[in-house]
Formats: sequence, C-alpha cells, structure tokens
Amino acid sequence: MHGELKHEDVEAARRDLADRTLAKIRGDFARLIYLASMRDYNTGEYHHEGLACRFSESVAGRAIGSCHHDAFRRLVLYSVKQLVEELELYADSNCTTASELVRVWEKLQPYRIAVPLECGPVVARFFASNIRAALAILQSRQLRARREELSALPSP
Amino acid sequence: MSVLAYFLLAAVIIVSVCLLLSRRGGRRDFDWEGIGTGQETSLPGGWDSLASELSARIFDPEDLNFVASEASRQLTRQFRRERTMLALDWLRAVRGQVNHLIRAHLRAARGNAELKPAEEIKLGFEFLVFQLTSGILYLVIWAFGPPRAAKLVGYSLELAGQMRKVTEDILPAGRPVVADLMDSKQEPKS
Repeated sequence: MHGELKHEDVEAARRDLADRTLAKIRGDFARLIYLASMRDYNTGEYHHEGLACRFSESVAGRAIGSCHHDAFRRLVLYSVKQLVEELELYADSNCTTASELVRVWEKLQPYRIAVPLECGPVVARFFASNIRAALAILQSRQLRARREELSALPSP
Repeated sequence: MSVLAYFLLAAVIIVSVCLLLSRRGGRRDFDWEGIGTGQETSLPGGWDSLASELSARIFDPEDLNFVASEASRQLTRQFRRERTMLALDWLRAVRGQVNHLIRAHLRAARGNAELKPAEEIKLGFEFLVFQLTSGILYLVIWAFGPPRAAKLVGYSLELAGQMRKVTEDILPAGRPVVADLMDSKQEPKS
C-alpha cells in the first residue's frame, strides 16, 4: 500500500500537519504525545480525519508516522537537562503542576507507548531511562523548592 | 618475565571477551533494530548516522554529570548502571552488524573470480582489529562506565565504517547480495 504512495503527496501532508497543527503545540513532548495518540494500538496505523480528507487515508497515515518518527528522534537525542526543561514546558502547557505530572507519569509511564513502532529496543530503553531520570530530577527540584519555601516562612 | 605474564593475561582476557561477545552476537544474530529504526536503516548509510548519533548520546558524560549534580546518589548510581547496560547492548548490536556484513561478504566471495587476495587480507586484518578493539571496549565500559570509553567508540565505529566500505569496494559482484541481505532484514518494518 505504502509503495504506491507518492513522496510529494506525503511531503505535502507532512507540511500541512506541521504548519496547521504541530506549529501550534508547544514543545516536542506535547507534539510526541499528540502524534502518538493518533495511532491505533491494535494496527499501529495513524488516523487523522481532517488530513485524510485533504489527502488520503494512507498518505495522511504515512505523514503522521513520519512526523511522529521525527519528534521522537529529536527527543531521544536530547540531553537529560533538555528533557527536564521539556517536561516542565509540557506540564506548563497542559495546565498541570510539574509534581502532578511526575506523580501520574511515574505510575502510567505514557512515554513507553509514545515510542514509534519501528523503534529498536536499545533506543526505546535509552529513551525510557532518560525520561525516568528527568522525572526524578523534576521531582527532587520540586521537593527542594518546597523545603526552601517552608524554611523561608517566619518561625512562630 | 612478569611483564610478559601480564601481557599474556591481558591477551587471554581480551580473547575471552571477544569469544563471549561473538557467541552472544551469534545467538542474537543480526539486529539492525537494536541500533536504529527501520526507516533509518533502510536509507543507504542510515545506520551509520544514527549509530554514531546514539553513541554520542550514550557515551557523553554530560548526562551523568547533570544527574549527579541534581539527583540523589542512589538515582545517580542507578542511572550510571542503566547507561552501562545500554552501552554494552549498543556495542553488541554494532558487533552484530559487522559480523553479519562479514558473513554476507564471505558468502558473496565464495566462487567469485574477481577476488583480490590483498584486499581480502586487509579486510580480514581490519575485522580482527575491530574484534580486538570492541573486546577492549566491552571491558572498559563494563569496568569504568561509558564516558571513559568514548574515544575508543569513535575508533570502533570508524573501523566498522571502513570495513563496510571495503566490502563494497573490493567485491562489486557481491554488492547486490549484501544489499539484498540488508533489505530483507528491513523490509518487514516498512
């Protein structure tokens, strides 16, 4: 099916998705989660109604997959320091606190299912390890800030 | 005399590690996916770029230093352990790629009239040096952690790239065979 797809069509769909949707999303983490959420967990195929109407179901699927791959590749090559900043930005843009994000992500580990299907096991483990470290650092920063706040309060 | 004994001991250890790695590599067989993604490896030379990019990240001390400065000792230890395991898995995957390449080359070389013995010997020597380097690299990573092994990684990748080029250059008739083998490993992912 994909063999019949024209490269130009997929490129046009990619540009469309990037300009209309991804450009409005703040941060690579949010983009990754958004793109992964368009994937059917049973088939691994991507679906986006608007994009499929403008192009075709298969072109849209290929374009989303390609954007997903790019977003993941960028994040996997980020340093842990950059990942911490990205997570802070992600929490901020989702109107949640960093500590709440850490609490939920440590339990649900949504970053595991945000990995593209064709990603190798070493890369996936590298990504998960970095995210876990970034979450732990975010948590320790939160704890440190709270402790400093408490110590700054005047003693009764 | 004692110096010779040390050299012998070191040689025995390195050869043992090489053998151990070869056996593990053989069991896992060839695993492009261990390094990159199907999409990237289907591009010519794609694994080279992702393998080197990923190695730069795995072996970069920046992350370890950052985690050590920000997190508890326990977390830092755990992070260091995870990085070491990842680096060892990465190395096994690179060795798997090289072993596969050499096997494919040998298969293509059998009965080929255009063989150049001098080039074949050069390739064999490079393969041996690569096996030795990666054996030492395995020991260094295991004993001291990935950041200490960074320079040796660059050298190993350079050797792997050279061997890939040599296998393509010296056996034009074997090129399609190698390409077919590589493609057949990647096709199911697209």
